[in-house]
Amino acid sequence: MIRNGVLIDDTYAEAFGMKATRIIITADNLTWAKNAANAAFGFATSVIACGCEAGIERELAPDETPDGRPGVAGLLFAMSTKELAKQLERRVGQGVLTCPSTAVFAGCDGEEKLPLGKNLRYFGDGWQISKVIAGRRSWRIPVMDGEFLAEESTGLLRSVGGGNFLVLARSRCQALTACEAAVLAIAKVPGVIAPFPGGVVRSGSKIGSRYKALPASTNDAFCPTLRGVTESELSPEVEAVLEIVVDGLSDADVRAAMKAGLEAVCEIGAAGGVVRLSAGNYGGKLGQFHYHLREILA
Amino acid sequence: MSALTLTLRAAPQGRVDMSGVLPATLAGLSVAEIAALSLIMDGRPVALGELFDVAPGEANRLVICTATNCLDYLGKGMTAGAIIVEGPAGHYTGQNLRGGELVIRGHVGHFAASGMKGGLLHIVGNAGDWLGAALIGDRAGMAGGVVAVEGDVGDRAGDRMRRGLILVRGRAGDACAARLLAGTLVVAGGCGGQPGFGLRRGSLILGQAPATLPTTFNDAGVVDLPYLSLLRRHAEGILPGVVPSLSRVRRHVGDLACGGKGEILVAT
Repeated sequence: MIRNGVLIDDTYAEAFGMKATRIIITADNLTWAKNAANAAFGFATSVIACGCEAGIERELAPDETPDGRPGVAGLLFAMSTKELAKQLERRVGQGVLTCPSTAVFAGCDGEEKLPLGKNLRYFGDGWQISKVIAGRRSWRIPVMDGEFLAEESTGLLRSVGGGNFLVLARSRCQALTACEAAVLAIAKVPGVIAPFPGGVVRSGSKIGSRYKALPASTNDAFCPTLRGVTESELSPEVEAVLEIVVDGLSDADVRAAMKAGLEAVCEIGAAGGVVRLSAGNYGGKLGQFHYHLREILA
Repeated sequence: MSALTLTLRAAPQGRVDMSGVLPATLAGLSVAEIAALSLIMDGRPVALGELFDVAPGEANRLVICTATNCLDYLGKGMTAGAIIVEGPAGHYTGQNLRGGELVIRGHVGHFAASGMKGGLLHIVGNAGDWLGAALIGDRAGMAGGVVAVEGDVGDRAGDRMRRGLILVRGRAGDACAARLLAGTLVVAGGCGGQPGFGLRRGSLILGQAPATLPTTFNDAGVVDLPYLSLLRRHAEGILPGVVPSLSRVRRHVGDLACGGKGEILVAT
């Protein structure tokens, strides 16, 4: 399949089940809501070493938030409920509780619940106050700028992590430009995040390593500098490969995000230096969700 | 389909216990069966049909038309559906209410919403003393749900209230929120003496500054409380304009004789 001069590999992205939640962070203005979100969701690019993958899903207008202030919705993904709960508590405790004027609320319902303010309330040292409003319990925790308001819990969702595609281009600059367009398109899709810096990752990995301690290592087949010494996937004109990874609340969300991203790259096309589109395929060993590129673009 | 309607024929000769006259218990009954139901009037059984005209309709929305305040225990223990009382209600209105909506288009007597645990009690007129308070012998009063009063309330509103929300557009009598255990009482139109006396936890929110406060309350100054936005948004759908429009309020902490973890918030 060729779209706008770009070869679409007959392959699929392999994704896996994850546990996720959505939280809403509000503040006196959007700047401080984003400051809190950036602190809470920073260093959350990959579950390999960050514990979770997280990011801002979208900005929220005052009429979309529980307390009528500007805010952001953020998504967190982890491999287990226990790890997600741990990461959520740490990140909200250190990134949101600490940030001036903020409040935090559940962004989703779920049959199972994750503690949000439930344990953070003890920071109040006995002065914390519980309020049940419209059937939802929140904690008022006294802090130096007034009160930090945190809803007791948020919902736990079953989700999909690791949807991805690779952009192979004639130069790094062209690969990056194409990926930037893809990230902008993905940002418009609800229920997904692209957790890597700016939504793009250059260190695509393969499973395993020659070093025992490492569960993953560089994807040598797509490294341009290793052409000639490994079984390379790259044709001579490809100078750089970048990857976009997508985590979503459902299979459909990931599929929609991949479609948006792939189409944005195809629109740039061969004229923009894009040569091929491929995907991280581990022979079906990694996950149960498969996203066939040609099927998505059909 | 129109609502099932019970219309009081004439003022009863005594106080009528309306326990059991609920949407759930009347559902599926014929007019004759409803008329044959037994009520208690001044300790003696009386057939419902002797006091009320019964017009058939959807039992999930029960309308009770009355011109007197002799009907006690209206909506007692209701779990779902709606009761609309066209006229005044007696004492113990909405006792042990668990769910659904009870609307009184008139005044209500004493001890309304005692033991309430859920649902909505909307009083279009005034309420008597001990609204949402503990009954004599009970350890706690209202423990959930929302009470909205368009008019004034009597003394001791929210006494030993445990949980839930009471909204009052008018004025409260003496000792509102006295001995409050938790929950929130909002009074927009001012209050009588000794508000919050013996308050343990929970919030009394006043739209107008009280003449005096118990000496066991300390002034914590003016603070911005984000939770008031949440409360206002919730309350606007029930009784608009009652929660102060600004989240900046003067906070008084107390009752210091009872732990000091409660608060009286006064609109600025």
